[in-house]
Amino acid sequence: MLQFSKFVAVRAALAVLTLVLVSFIVFTLMELVPGDCAERYVAFKSSQGSVITAADIQIERVRLGLDQPYVQRWGSWIFNAFQGEFGDSCILRVNIAQLLGQKFWLSLGLCLSALLLAYAIAIPVGIIAATSKNAVLNNSLRLVSYLGLALPNFLLALMIMLFSTVFFGDSLTGLFSKEYRDAPWDYDKVMDFLGHAWLPVFILGWSATAFAIQTVRALMSDEIGKLYVTAAAARGVSGRRLLMRYPARHALSPIINSLGFDLNRIFTELPIVALILTLTEAGSLLIEALARSNDQQLAGAIIFMLTASIVGINFITDIILALTDPRIRRSIVG
Amino acid sequence: MTRLLDVENLTLKFDTDEGRITAVDDVSFTLEAGEVMGLVGESGSGKSVTAKSIMKLNPGNASYGDDTKITLHLEDGPVDIMSLHGSKELKVVRGGAISLIFQEPMASFAPAITIGDQMVEQLLIHMDMNAKRAKEVSIEMLDRVGISDPSMRFGQYAFELSGGMRQRAMIAMALSTKPKLLIADEPTTALDVTIQAQVIDLMKDLVKDFGMGIIFITHDLGVIAQTADKVAVMYLGRLIEQGPVRDVLRNPSHPYTKGLIAALPRLDDLDSPLTPIPGDIPSPLERPTGCVFHTRCSVNLGDICTAKIPNFAKVTEGHNVACHLFNGEGAK
Ligand SMILES: Nc1ncnc2c1ncn2[C@@H]1O[C@H](COP(=O)(O)OP(=O)(O)OP(=O)(O)O)[C@@H](O)[C@H]1O
Ligand code: SF4
Ligand SMILES: [Mg+2]
Repeated sequence: MLQFSKFVAVRAALAVLTLVLVSFIVFTLMELVPGDCAERYVAFKSSQGSVITAADIQIERVRLGLDQPYVQRWGSWIFNAFQGEFGDSCILRVNIAQLLGQKFWLSLGLCLSALLLAYAIAIPVGIIAATSKNAVLNNSLRLVSYLGLALPNFLLALMIMLFSTVFFGDSLTGLFSKEYRDAPWDYDKVMDFLGHAWLPVFILGWSATAFAIQTVRALMSDEIGKLYVTAAAARGVSGRRLLMRYPARHALSPIINSLGFDLNRIFTELPIVALILTLTEAGSLLIEALARSNDQQLAGAIIFMLTASIVGINFITDIILALTDPRIRRSIVG
Repeated sequence: MTRLLDVENLTLKFDTDEGRITAVDDVSFTLEAGEVMGLVGESGSGKSVTAKSIMKLNPGNASYGDDTKITLHLEDGPVDIMSLHGSKELKVVRGGAISLIFQEPMASFAPAITIGDQMVEQLLIHMDMNAKRAKEVSIEMLDRVGISDPSMRFGQYAFELSGGMRQRAMIAMALSTKPKLLIADEPTTALDVTIQAQVIDLMKDLVKDFGMGIIFITHDLGVIAQTADKVAVMYLGRLIEQGPVRDVLRNPSHPYTKGLIAALPRLDDLDSPLTPIPGDIPSPLERPTGCVFHTRCSVNLGDICTAKIPNFAKVTEGHNVACHLFNGEGAK
């Protein structure tokens, strides 16, 4: 037990260290964007007709702390970041934590649901695909998963929108109906949200599922071919028990291992899907922040939070692996 | 002696992308209860496939010859193995009356299931006992094969055991259901020489105690000489010589068996040159016509050897050889 806590502590420390390193990279990138927040704000002001002097810019710099040395600013940035505080957006001039808060958790929720959906489908289907000798079934599964891999998510999103607009007169976009958009959370709003959220989850889950099926199938075929499975059959173990206790059980570790990558992949697909479905989640804000307005403060915050989610998932899967894989468990618990 | 196993005309082919491979070709032999038969031959000669065929364990691309007949004689009467279908019926030859020890002990334990759980599972499948009793029996068996601290080992995984211990655990597991026939596929090749000797002694003891028959597969004629009562020599899927172990080793009659023995290093004369059998084993996709060994045989009698498959001929009582030297036309 003690050793297990130690293992968790070490992994947690590693996760934090990773985040510190990432934050350094993110922060450096933010710095590399030409111009700083003060200039940008002041430029905005002058476009509003105010007369701006170099002194004004300097005052703004001091106010934002931009006159401090680089390392010190990085230090205070990550110190705040770890507490979920990212300062104000350069352009929007509002507190980033407030701006992102709910949006970020919605995005994360969408991505995790897509991941869950992907594996809920992929595990049974992958196992069937790996064990079935039925050529028709196998080939149709293959076709569907190739489609999933080949058909980009945004195309699927566009197709579904087009289809539903033509047939139902509703483009199915957004995460909330108008009346709930700014309403406080209550039962009706949750139901309304779920009614909208299935579509982005489905679209995000689409290629993730195809990918996951390939993974599960390959891992299963791999395990099924191993000698310990034949050996178990030679001892009289058969049928579903043989399948579940031997190859399926042993394919689990590498599947858990791949969850982090999959979440990462889903994250990268989120912005473009969100853009098309006009979801106002964090991913589309990121594109907005990066591409439209050069809002490095906001972009940095989003990238940091996405990375933190992935590091978090990897931390969790590491712990699960340690609990389920005896080789790892024994090496730490003894 | 009572008959335990009859293998008649065992033929097994694999359908592969390159074509049909005949891995075992018309192999017949018998085994008595309490008898140890050594099965020898170069790599790829079909020993492991023969072993798995007896338990119908070969993969989906395998098919048996039409006149293959395998009969296991149990107390309640003979079992026609070829007519067994489905996992329920096959149980008797899979871990029940027949146990198989695989070539690689590490790979034949599931890595994420404890040794004990795998042993208990097998006992629960085949024996009429509850889980508690199965655990006791498993620990007894581990103790029996000389594993120290068996109750601790019971809860361990294969990767936590040394090679020798794994092999012992494998033997314990295979014997726990008290099978009538044990097939040991090179059970000692992965071990170093001293442990190898221990494991062989252990197996000999257990055979005596349990009164079962053993098919002992190996490359190593030395091991055969120590353990087996009789020996069968395979080449390219065919049995080419069989008989009592002393007769065959002292008086090898088939040119291939002679070659195998000549290729052994001689401890009494280490300077004598080793003479490996010349030539390469033909690809299983291009099996030679006539005598399968004719492409490498130094005797080769010409047309008859390339055209006609030699039948078994008697050398001495129980010692038979499939070579035209001993058959009608070619006989000396
Ligand atoms: N599943 C399979 N599919 C196709 N060919 C196979 C299969 N299993 C075995 N073979 C072929 O059958 C032949 C006999 O193989 P087998 O494993 O019985 O040899 P072996 O005598 O046990 O050799 P070794 O001493 O190396 O273990 C080989 O040519 C092998 O390639
Ligand atoms: S039958 Fe002919 S080729 Fe075959 S072993 Fe005998 S002599 Fe050699
Ligand atoms: Mg073999």
